[in-house]
Amino acid sequence: MTASPDTTALVRRLSSFCLPDGGVPYYKGAGASAEPTLLVLLALFASGSSPVQRKPLLAWISSLQNPDGSLGLDPLHRDQGLWLTALSAVTFHHCGPKDARDRALGFVASFRSVTMANDPNVRQDNTIVGWPWVRDTFGWVEPTAWSVIALNVCGRGDDPRAVEGRKFLLDRRIPSGGWNYGNPGINDRELLPFWDTTGLALIALHGQAEAVRPGLDLLEKNQERIDSPCGLAWSVMSLEGLGREAAPLRQRLFGIMNSLPDDGLNAAHFAAGLIALSGRKVFFP
Amino acid sequence: MRRRDFLKGTAVLANAAVFGDFRESGSQLSPAPCPVTLLGMPDYGRDLEKDIAAVMTRDGLALKGKKILLKPNFVETHPERPINTNPAVIAQVAHACLRLGAAEVMVGEASGHRRDPWFSVLNPKLRTILDKRVKCLDLNHGDAAMVPNKGGLTRLPAFYLARPVAEADVLISMPKMKTHHWTGVTLSLKNLFGTLPGIYYGWPKNLLHFRGIERSILDLARTVKVHYNIIDGVVGMEGDGPIMGKARPVGVLVLSPFSLAADATAARLMGFNPRKVLYLVQAGRFLPGLRPEDVALRGEDPKRFATQFDCLDDFKRMRGGPFF
Repeated sequence: MTASPDTTALVRRLSSFCLPDGGVPYYKGAGASAEPTLLVLLALFASGSSPVQRKPLLAWISSLQNPDGSLGLDPLHRDQGLWLTALSAVTFHHCGPKDARDRALGFVASFRSVTMANDPNVRQDNTIVGWPWVRDTFGWVEPTAWSVIALNVCGRGDDPRAVEGRKFLLDRRIPSGGWNYGNPGINDRELLPFWDTTGLALIALHGQAEAVRPGLDLLEKNQERIDSPCGLAWSVMSLEGLGREAAPLRQRLFGIMNSLPDDGLNAAHFAAGLIALSGRKVFFP
Repeated sequence: MRRRDFLKGTAVLANAAVFGDFRESGSQLSPAPCPVTLLGMPDYGRDLEKDIAAVMTRDGLALKGKKILLKPNFVETHPERPINTNPAVIAQVAHACLRLGAAEVMVGEASGHRRDPWFSVLNPKLRTILDKRVKCLDLNHGDAAMVPNKGGLTRLPAFYLARPVAEADVLISMPKMKTHHWTGVTLSLKNLFGTLPGIYYGWPKNLLHFRGIERSILDLARTVKVHYNIIDGVVGMEGDGPIMGKARPVGVLVLSPFSLAADATAARLMGFNPRKVLYLVQAGRFLPGLRPEDVALRGEDPKRFATQFDCLDDFKRMRGGPFF
């Protein structure tokens, strides 16, 4: 891994998104939301900021946790976006409190996707349980990857749900490498991989060298084509976290993050970029 | 779920009794024919901004001083497939709105498959061709307004609408002319899925699939007020749409204040009989414009554009024509 660039200005810029109550919106001018707040909290942690700097964000996010350990989108929609609970477990693991982390993990372990009969037109096993975006719906790659990552990071990678989650991710892998939102192909035709989802799934499959190789190869081969801050962030985190070089991607990510205008800047993606640039493996056990 | 099972399920939609009588409340049916204008656009290099503005004006769309939201379709991105509303069309419509005195013009989308808005309305390539006054909004990540579900077919009590959609004075639905592997065709009405933020509904919006795609389309058609529709049929998608199909050049923009009239006309241009597309039939119980006699066709001769889109075998029964 190459040396981390000086991200002081980027951290300062990200901090400017924080609202007085401690929450962070996806975009400037909007209301605070859980996902950007969680990722900004992790980015500040990864960038070496002090607990005092992180305190308002931690207080905001802690107050959002429901009694059952789940975490919703924002104070007005506490029952929506429960897929965010996995990310909250990772954040509480690094930034405390641990009892909040354990409650979150308890919810993650109980949150299940529904299954259905297999379809000959879609080459995937619909009977494997993963994690859904929305309660009582089907499982998809991103919420499943987040949940497996949470269990891995918190030392519960051997939990049967994590084991089945990894099986789910391997089943949804596109044959030539990578992942999209959830189907490897339809009617014998492969779907296109997404860089962000591929990075997340690879991180979730940490420790399975053979399983991650095609996805890592795919990201390496397509380095020139990856140009979004979000795609770059997750590509850098997965490649470097799993032992590959990603210097050109890291350099491009740094350049793009320094050139993005505030208009249209997604704080969650910017925070993911900072985590990647920090080199801290916050999503790995 | 298998497509055949899904289609068997949707056959129930043909049974009006299942859904009660839509016309009893909130019906938007009108005795006057719905204007639908066809503008020839052989390729995306043509500049139709003035023509689009003229048609919108003739259709009575008042934009002066209003906050306008353009809702294109950016469900997924593939370098070789015409999946999305073309940026050139988006730009021309946005600039036509500014020309007509709109106070604010926004382009917003809650992409159905792609979380990363770089592949949708926040792509720098779109930004660079838009006037600086036009804002691009990622509707997947942001505030939402809970609005009661006026349809009730999905049994969802309410929808979380992206706040810019709820707060716009004028909403313009701008879909791509495509086949759809679950519903036959996807046009202005189906495009409303992209008004619902992914942080509430996921990627894809699986909750709507679970509640029934066609029921969801119909509920959204009842709940979301659309003021105008512009269908990008310059290059459509045939075959295994809306993602895996092939390009089908048609060379037309379809414009109308009436969503169903726009969709039914576009379906006819594609060689589908809208009276065999079940969600369009059901929408015809509360929206005007399903039948040819409900439509006042304007602009260019539809025979110039009428064609036969290839489609999956399951949907060949929805074909019909010639209609023009």
